[in-house]
Amino acid sequence: MDQVEKKELIDTTKVRPKKRVPEISREKLEETGFLKTLLYSSERSRERKESILFSTVDQFLNWSRITSLWPVTSGLACCAIEMMAVSMAHFDIARFGMEVFRASPRQADLLFVAGTVTKRMAPRVKMLYEQMPEPKWVIAVGSCATSGGPYHESYCVLDGVDKIIPVDVYIPGCPPRPEAWLYGIIQLREKIKKEGYGAKWGMDK
Amino acid sequence: MIIDAIKSKFPGSIIGTGALVDKPMLIIKKDDILKVCEYAHELGFDHLSLITGVDYRDHFEVIYNLWSYSNKQDLVLKVMLDHENPKVQSVVSVWKSADWLERETYDLVGITFEGHPNLIRILLPDGWEGHPLRRDYDMQKEQYVLISETGEDIVTPDPSKALRPGKY
Repeated sequence: MDQVEKKELIDTTKVRPKKRVPEISREKLEETGFLKTLLYSSERSRERKESILFSTVDQFLNWSRITSLWPVTSGLACCAIEMMAVSMAHFDIARFGMEVFRASPRQADLLFVAGTVTKRMAPRVKMLYEQMPEPKWVIAVGSCATSGGPYHESYCVLDGVDKIIPVDVYIPGCPPRPEAWLYGIIQLREKIKKEGYGAKWGMDK
Repeated sequence: MIIDAIKSKFPGSIIGTGALVDKPMLIIKKDDILKVCEYAHELGFDHLSLITGVDYRDHFEVIYNLWSYSNKQDLVLKVMLDHENPKVQSVVSVWKSADWLERETYDLVGITFEGHPNLIRILLPDGWEGHPLRRDYDMQKEQYVLISETGEDIVTPDPSKALRPGKY
């Protein structure tokens, strides 16, 4: 038995993978992702004692919010230089839909407190925060904005920006690397995903 | 060489000579500083790079760092002031850059420059109590800044108006 199996050579550049066409109606529904969304929101609603409908609304609103977080153009010290690096092509926060640094706080929903908050600057930062419309989030960047950093207990520097405005995410570092910024932004996105706006509006009853 | 030129011109107003790191240094009588600075400007020291004030507990020192762009050389002038009433003549008439440098020294160390055109605080807001780089500055006393309706700074020791509730 000297049979040599003849192997066919396949030119991989010319073969394209076949996509499975959904046949039955359930598969078609799974293809759209709607069923998955519904199942996910039912899990969430069971956790948080909400109705399925409004947790789906929450999910849609949160999705639209995390994909277009617009920060204010504001920098207080050297951390703002890293903020420029984050927004440039190499680290590119346009992937999160955040590349639009608004020149006015009234069009923005995210405030990066990037740098040392001196006592003279503190009321200005607070005014900037108050001018932003709801919903709004704050990220304190660098050791100065989180705790005062090297200026801790100085005569002219606040020990952390959370003494004047509420902060959602703290990013340590002096100044933090752009990778740390990206990690902080992802943490904020995770936080926003868990927020419930239907509950806030009283629609969970 | 520079030291000898100034010493021969004003023999009575030089208290001592020396070197600050690698720069020639002169200690001047405090009433003659304007005269010496005018002469140093004539010698080619056209750039006043820094004025600093130092608190030594029993006396103050004001240090002038000069640089000559034409001759490429440094010169340091020092003035000793008494601790109770630190006053020295302003050198704004010689170098324009002395304006803000003297205001900063007044703001943080509290040395009065006589003849300065606009001697007000430059970094801290008006109404701030004390000069922070003095040795006897009270670090325990907190001062906060608010903005008035017209946009001016108000200094207040009350944290309840400046900070969030529960954070002071």
